[in-house]
Amino acid sequence: MNFVFTAVFLAAAAVFLVSDPEGFLPALLAGGQKAAALSMTLLASYCVWLGFFKVLEKSGLAEKLARLFRRPLKKLFRSDDEEALSLASQNIAANMLGLPGAPTPLGVRATQKFLAAKNTYAADMLFVLGATSMQLLPTTVIALRAAAGAASPADILLPTLLATLFSTLTGAALTALTQKR
Amino acid sequence: MRYAALLLPALFLALFLYAAIRRVRLYDCFTAGVKEAVPLALSLFPYLAAILMLSELFERSGLSAALIRALAPLFSCLGIPKEIAGLVLVKPFSGSGATALLSEIFSAYGAESYIARCAAVVYGSSETVFYLSAVYFAGSKKNPAKPVVISLISNFFSTILGCLLCKIM
Repeated sequence: MNFVFTAVFLAAAAVFLVSDPEGFLPALLAGGQKAAALSMTLLASYCVWLGFFKVLEKSGLAEKLARLFRRPLKKLFRSDDEEALSLASQNIAANMLGLPGAPTPLGVRATQKFLAAKNTYAADMLFVLGATSMQLLPTTVIALRAAAGAASPADILLPTLLATLFSTLTGAALTALTQKR
Repeated sequence: MRYAALLLPALFLALFLYAAIRRVRLYDCFTAGVKEAVPLALSLFPYLAAILMLSELFERSGLSAALIRALAPLFSCLGIPKEIAGLVLVKPFSGSGATALLSEIFSAYGAESYIARCAAVVYGSSETVFYLSAVYFAGSKKNPAKPVVISLISNFFSTILGCLLCKIM
């Protein structure tokens, strides 16, 4: 990340220096402003979902959900950390349901737990699963298509599902294959 | 899409009802969860700020437009319409940017067109990889290069596959 940041920053700053020196600071400030706005949005959704997931945890349902997936997840993540696996299983469930904003706080906490146990493989796997999108119902797309006047806005469902299933499987396979046991 | 809208209220209703029956102290429990929201958001903030400033620089310097132009021929020989090249490149960086592009494509080419269908599949089957990596690996010493590259490759394959599927389905 340090390399990407340095390279892109230097290249962009050089272009600004030559073509548009006055535009440089406003661009940085716009980025900062977006970060502040996005953080507020995230904070709002964390409030809702962290509250929700605490109830899920205390009611014992998170435990039941985790037990259901325990064996496959243990294999998938090569981990015995019950708490991290429970967070990971909730992250996967939230991802599949497409609950807006819900997967991130769970994913971050599961990743922190995996990394604390020096299990970088599990952290990589969880990230790849989330980053290749497992959403079963792409609600945003369907809503946007309906708004744009498509007669059957959901007819992209099957190709989307196949494409995303393919990317998740490819990602998981690549992660597992590139990892030394 | 009425059924999808039912999901969230039904989910909360079912969980809170179940928790109440199990005698969970709902108010205490919910607020205990919310308490973790501020530290989490604060810990992510520096990384979000750096990434968003960088992507703003990248966008406004014209580098991103130059990259899109340079990659357009490669995209069209892989069967990805050149009209959606921008969307394919923006999606890993910015969810809101991709959403804006998607609705622009819908209004420019019509929501029923082949291009719009490709765009919808690409949008629905990929994720904001760089943004997620900034958040997931925030503050850890681990180098996220490997999972990021794997995710980008997988999502790119699914983009090619998605455009192909839109042609035949």
